[in-house]
Amino acid sequence: MRFFDSHVHMVSRTTDDYQRMAAAGVTAIIEPSFWQGQPRTEVGTFKDYFNSLIGFERFRASQFGIQHYCTIGLNPKEANNEKLAEAVLELMPLYICKEGVVGIGEIGFDDQTKAEEKYLIKQAELALEADLPIQIHTPHRDKKKGTIRTMDVLEDVGIDPAKVIIDHNNEETVKEVLDRGYWSAFTIYPHTKLGNERMVQLMLEYGAEQIVVDSAADWGISDPLAVPKTAALMKDRGISLEKIEQVTYHNPLAAYGQSGQVSEQDWAGSEGIDPTALFEGNTLLRGGMDVETAMSQYLIE
Amino acid sequence: MNLKEIDEPMNHSDRMEPRMRERILTLLNKTASPDAVAWLQQTIASQEAHFERRPFYYAFSGVSRHFDKAGRLPEDSDEIFGDWDEYRLARVGLLLLLAKQDEAEFVETFHALLNTADLREQVALFSALPWLPHPEKLLEAAVDGLRSNIVDIFDSISLDNSFPAENFSDEAWNQMVLKAIFITRPLYRIMGIGDRKNILLAEAISDLAHERWAAGRMITPEAWQSCEGFIDDRIAGDIAKMAESDQKEDRAAAALVFSKDDSGKLEALRSGLTPELERIANGDLTWKTLGKTMEEKLTRKCLT
Repeated sequence: MRFFDSHVHMVSRTTDDYQRMAAAGVTAIIEPSFWQGQPRTEVGTFKDYFNSLIGFERFRASQFGIQHYCTIGLNPKEANNEKLAEAVLELMPLYICKEGVVGIGEIGFDDQTKAEEKYLIKQAELALEADLPIQIHTPHRDKKKGTIRTMDVLEDVGIDPAKVIIDHNNEETVKEVLDRGYWSAFTIYPHTKLGNERMVQLMLEYGAEQIVVDSAADWGISDPLAVPKTAALMKDRGISLEKIEQVTYHNPLAAYGQSGQVSEQDWAGSEGIDPTALFEGNTLLRGGMDVETAMSQYLIE
Repeated sequence: MNLKEIDEPMNHSDRMEPRMRERILTLLNKTASPDAVAWLQQTIASQEAHFERRPFYYAFSGVSRHFDKAGRLPEDSDEIFGDWDEYRLARVGLLLLLAKQDEAEFVETFHALLNTADLREQVALFSALPWLPHPEKLLEAAVDGLRSNIVDIFDSISLDNSFPAENFSDEAWNQMVLKAIFITRPLYRIMGIGDRKNILLAEAISDLAHERWAAGRMITPEAWQSCEGFIDDRIAGDIAKMAESDQKEDRAAAALVFSKDDSGKLEALRSGLTPELERIANGDLTWKTLGKTMEEKLTRKCLT
């Protein structure tokens, strides 16, 4: 099977992860711009970060046969540093129309401050200007209210919900997000977000329409194999292959494909995964791929 | 400087721009979709009427939204633009327009684009150098670009590009040529390679050759062109070694150096190089024909 993980922060991951992802069938990924743990104090570090998303990280992924795309944005946490935020907003027009940039993201609310709202609006306007999808981060705290407020703000700007992927949903937020016409993404992330047993239940209740499953693997305790593992668990629990493919491959492709910057043709011709073919002549690729061990425990709690 | 291998005048953007732009649009019409070409023409027209940075940024990066990523000119379809892809042609077309802005606007915008460029955008920016004004303001960026470990970027500055020969110091020139040898690039496509020879480069090439030989590896025979005119005892020994090589391209290089030599230090090689010297006399063997042969070999298999 092929998977499209539409939310994963590869700059924080190792080549071991790339090897295991490729071997497990992850064909394409989207790397949203995000908070890197250490707050940035200069706009120049954003520039170099964006450059690495469209440059070295894309190259690194390609070494493992994985197509790498990204979204460009100012994350909500750092929107609270207004001087920096203004400078980042000045920088973004240089990036958002680039090849392989499939949206503005991840943006939204963290503490739900005024400043966060201001830069959510400004970035939504940029998305309108460049005709790009938006990838929304919903807050960890006061999530339900923050999610509704995000949708209200976007609709005030005139954004079409069909061009917005709202991420990190849970049982409390999914209904309204779907009812209002947005894509609803679920992050399978151990401990702090959603386990995949819950994801199976959500699928049983809401079906596969407009639903996206991703890993959001980053610098925390997270799992870059969350999408294939969740697919395996879904199969185990009797969900049809068609529906599994829809939420782990076709839906993210359709949602972000609206950018015109990603299509199946980009990886056409790479028939399945042949790990041995990736090794020759590549200095990044070393060691073996132990997929069996990685996949043997596919329950994420 | 008069560079024999360069047949187009350079760095006169006012005079060159309309002609180059027409040439680019004509070429794009042969390969790209009519919609894409129309978009480019319209963008150039509106930016010409009123230049604004933000729409220019969108247009420069947004070339990928309109043109085909795999689209390129058929091989050898143009003397200047060779087999460039659509992105590169369209972006150079836009840069010709940027070249007409005032100096501050031009220099700042160029560097903003370069500092945030993806791989193919960098290739376009460096490819445009010969037609851009204020070369002294672009020199450092070009020298720095050569430090890239991405071959496409290195090639866009070093190959088929008149900017280095016209603007580089000997130090920068020598670094570029040595790196091109080191990573086995086709040296005959370095414009001005026959004119920018200097003693320091000749000595460095000899040193590199000795290092390679000590490691049991070869050096591209094209390298010896830059030693012409600097035949001391040591380099004469190197050329003698090439004249006795079992590789015919090495012997060809030795004969080419011999044919231009007036030091007298290579005289003993004459009889061993008779067939090659005949081919030189007929015009069948030049640094360019040798370079092309090496490039064909290179595309078949990596030399190093």
